[in-house]
Amino acid sequence: MTWETVIGIETHVQLSTKTKLFSRASTQFGESPNTNVNLIDCGLPGVLPSVNKEAFYKAITFGLAVGSQINQTSIFDRKNYFYPDLPKGYQITQMDLPIVLGGTMDIETENGIKTINITRAHLEEDAGKSIHDEYDGYTAIDLNRAGTPLLEIVSEPEISNAKEAVAYMKALHRLVTFLNVSDGNMSQGSLRCDANVSIRKLGDETLGTRTEIKNINSFKFVEKAINFEVKRQIKQLEKGETITQETRLYDSVKDETRPMRSKEFANDYRYFPEPDLLPVVISDKEMQEIKDSFPELPKEKEQRFQTELSISEYDAKIIASSKSMADFFEASIKETSNYSLLANWLIGEISAFLNKDSIEINESKLTPSSVAMLINRIDDQTISGKIGKSIFEEMYTSGISPDEIIESQGLKQISDDGAIEAIINTVIQENPTQLKAYLGGKEKLFGFFVGQVMKLTSGKANPQSVNELLKEKLK
Amino acid sequence: MSIQFKTITELREMLDSKIISSEELVNETFRLNEQFKELNCFVTLNESKSREKAIGIDQQDEPLSILSGIPLAQKDLFCTEGLRTTCSSKILSNFIPPYTATAVSKLEDDGSITIGKTNMDEFAMGSSNETSFFGPVHNPWKKGYVPGGSSGGSAAAVAAGIVPAATGTDTGGSIRQPAAHCGITGMKPTYGRVSRWGMVAFASSLDQAGPIARSAEDCAILLNSMSGYDSKDTTCLDLPNQDLLETINNPIKGLKIGVVKEFDMSDLDLGVQQAFEQSKKLYESLGAEFVEVSLPNISASVPAYYSIAPAECSSNLSRFDGIKFGHRTEDPGNLEELYVNSRSEGFGDEVKRRILIGTYALSAGFYDAYYKKAQQVRRLIKNDFVSAFESIDVIMTPTTPSTAFAFGSKGAQNPVELYLEDLFTISSNLAGLPAISIPHGQLNNLPIGLQLIGNFLEEGRILNAAHIFQKNSDFHLTHPNMEDFK
Amino acid sequence: MDQETVRTICHLARLKIDDEKSEKIESDLDTIIALIGGLSSFDTSNIEPLYSPLEQTAVKHEDVVNSDNCKDKYLANSPLSNDDYFLVPRVVE
Repeated sequence: MTWETVIGIETHVQLSTKTKLFSRASTQFGESPNTNVNLIDCGLPGVLPSVNKEAFYKAITFGLAVGSQINQTSIFDRKNYFYPDLPKGYQITQMDLPIVLGGTMDIETENGIKTINITRAHLEEDAGKSIHDEYDGYTAIDLNRAGTPLLEIVSEPEISNAKEAVAYMKALHRLVTFLNVSDGNMSQGSLRCDANVSIRKLGDETLGTRTEIKNINSFKFVEKAINFEVKRQIKQLEKGETITQETRLYDSVKDETRPMRSKEFANDYRYFPEPDLLPVVISDKEMQEIKDSFPELPKEKEQRFQTELSISEYDAKIIASSKSMADFFEASIKETSNYSLLANWLIGEISAFLNKDSIEINESKLTPSSVAMLINRIDDQTISGKIGKSIFEEMYTSGISPDEIIESQGLKQISDDGAIEAIINTVIQENPTQLKAYLGGKEKLFGFFVGQVMKLTSGKANPQSVNELLKEKLK
Repeated sequence: MSIQFKTITELREMLDSKIISSEELVNETFRLNEQFKELNCFVTLNESKSREKAIGIDQQDEPLSILSGIPLAQKDLFCTEGLRTTCSSKILSNFIPPYTATAVSKLEDDGSITIGKTNMDEFAMGSSNETSFFGPVHNPWKKGYVPGGSSGGSAAAVAAGIVPAATGTDTGGSIRQPAAHCGITGMKPTYGRVSRWGMVAFASSLDQAGPIARSAEDCAILLNSMSGYDSKDTTCLDLPNQDLLETINNPIKGLKIGVVKEFDMSDLDLGVQQAFEQSKKLYESLGAEFVEVSLPNISASVPAYYSIAPAECSSNLSRFDGIKFGHRTEDPGNLEELYVNSRSEGFGDEVKRRILIGTYALSAGFYDAYYKKAQQVRRLIKNDFVSAFESIDVIMTPTTPSTAFAFGSKGAQNPVELYLEDLFTISSNLAGLPAISIPHGQLNNLPIGLQLIGNFLEEGRILNAAHIFQKNSDFHLTHPNMEDFK
Repeated sequence: MDQETVRTICHLARLKIDDEKSEKIESDLDTIIALIGGLSSFDTSNIEPLYSPLEQTAVKHEDVVNSDNCKDKYLANSPLSNDDYFLVPRVVE
């Protein structure tokens, strides 16, 4: 029996506005509990919501980037249900007339580029946080997050496996960070997704019963959760059993999905248009403003790096794949003109260090200035590439600038021919056996002499000069 | 000199000519309330702050504004910072809001003194003030009779002459109907004229705050202060400044008054019919012309309202969950018990009925037939008004089908009986139009009210028509003798 | 309204009706539903619903913080809280 997996993903992206969707409280992450809260976020009697313009602008920016239709008139609806972190007992969301309709996302799969269709994207307010394990017998409610603007992006059920799901999420993550629509900070919960998974016999047209895995907040878990669920469903179907339509949670400790506590009554959200908010209209003028301030997309950056900065296609692609890397690169090139060397370093040595610590470049101690300075010192031969590497390690760990390190450790490359010649003479004098062997035909010993010169200069001799002068001397 | 039954204009005169000081006025007000506390107008009094403000006003040298030092009663549906706000419900019996409603703060900024918070039907749901957790309010004209609702406490306090004016809210008639039953003047402005910020929401697309006073002129004074753009309420209109007193004395010769064909007056109490005919004659003598207009879908008003209002309220009242504020049940075993018990203990029966009907009207399978249908019918009703106003300036109707009734005599068996009280008032809430009720007769010593409905934003017009009527009659000058309460 | 429907809407609204009142309330609900059922006799084909009397659009506000960060103010009215949080009985997901 060959089975086909059908996956649709709903992603909740926290928009990087300074204030909430319906109130002017701050959205700053990490504040102490219940301080980013005002009357509106608390749902006090008599309060009314008002609309954050920037949230709309960011949603539209996303919509334009994925080629969707923008509903210049959109309305808000109430979704009614009871939960302690939902202060009003309803969430203000968009049901019938969302801000964004349609669109596509391209993802890279092992079989090439695949286009995933987007059904819609709408604005809604986030709920607060429920903390279950801190106070014995109680669940604590923190409303700081309540009211934060979310863009819920719904994909068509066109994703075929866990790897594609991750590719989709990563592409979405890259896009929203490049667009400044979201800070994409996964550890702070800026991007969460629900995966709808169903299985059907290959060739079947009707969809199988789906389960929904809720609130997955990392790429790694997306892959694991879906893999587990697919296996589970297939196993069940092969036994001849049916799949129960239900909501499940992914347990990362046990690496399994399990059903959420079943409720006796299905939830009827009783959606109706929000009477406290009139329809929101984005004028043609505002649309133009949004288009005019549209940030450059990854593909455009890639192109520009190649054509304007003569960076190789391979390098350009990698640098443009991460917003923090791209921003860093563009800041650095203001202070150095050896773009390719800079690119090499970013992709090579620097990325290696960042990956080891699993951080983004903007989370490290490196600054565009300091890296530019390093590139310049290598470029102008103040130091060799090799010394550059050890200086870099120091920079990365301590944040001290290359010039300071070069100065304090006396690492300036020795490029003065006279000085190098003198060292070479010393080396030749002290190693007569090797000299004789070399002159007798053992050409490999050239490296030995180079090594000795380097040793005597603590690696600071300009390798090129050493090579040239040594060749001369050893003729 | 007695302050009881004085208008704002009269009290202003007394204050300005130093016949009475602000402090004395406030003290007298509290004394009157104490004397007539059997009426049960107030849920919470604001004694020390009121006296403090009055003393401050007395010490001021600058010329005072029209509302300076005027004692006002605020309906307990408006949040008042630091002063208990209950909505006459057990579920908020201990709620102290951290902020003040815009409508109230505008009145206070203009110098008025908030004497206290008035009793009302619980969460503004009712037409008799009988659903209050704090007990019913008596109609000052007759003990044991309802003052109307939901702004019963405000209407009674004004009718009994304890305060010259008060604020109310009107979702289906809750200012106009009690004004009619209490023989005073009450007005619901155009939807969006007054900010709803701080006004506890019952039915968001219908609620509107308004003045209750002894005359159309006083209503204009209050509304001038209460209204105005508030960016915190996106349903509040940004209108050019308008002084509603400017046009209030305009002659009404040629005023076209519409009488609704579909309202069958023969069903009403004879006394109500007669009062209506008399008022027609008075208006005609003042130069107005009467035109028959048709509002073909008007009979859909009551069913539409009782679909929309409960639906919106069922959602608005979900925030009362015992977690952030309000009544919480003792020792809930789990979250479900916390919700169900807190809410069931905290809400009265009428509120529960409306929440359940509202939940039903919005639920899957019924939404189209009830809620959406009602909103479609609402547009039909609004369109009818738009057509009618092409040929007339104001519409005249009785405010209520009959006069005030005894406690417990309506609605106990069948809630719809009480809903039909709102027959004449409800349609202006659905269409968002301004409407005023003025006293124009009595039946068995109980007042009868006359309603004037204006076109969108035409408060000036209906205040003018009401004021001219009052200049040429003395119904608004009568008051109860308060014998029942002495 | 059948028993099942009553139970469902009571659950959705998180309300319970006392046994001794249930018959009366159910009959009241039936009466009200009969009242609003009268809407079906009105022809609303091709009529757009009127959700608000104002045929206007919303004003949007600027993305600038304007809030007082006053945790104590908001926790003050809570029937059960500690210095930092609102508290409810432990919820099991």
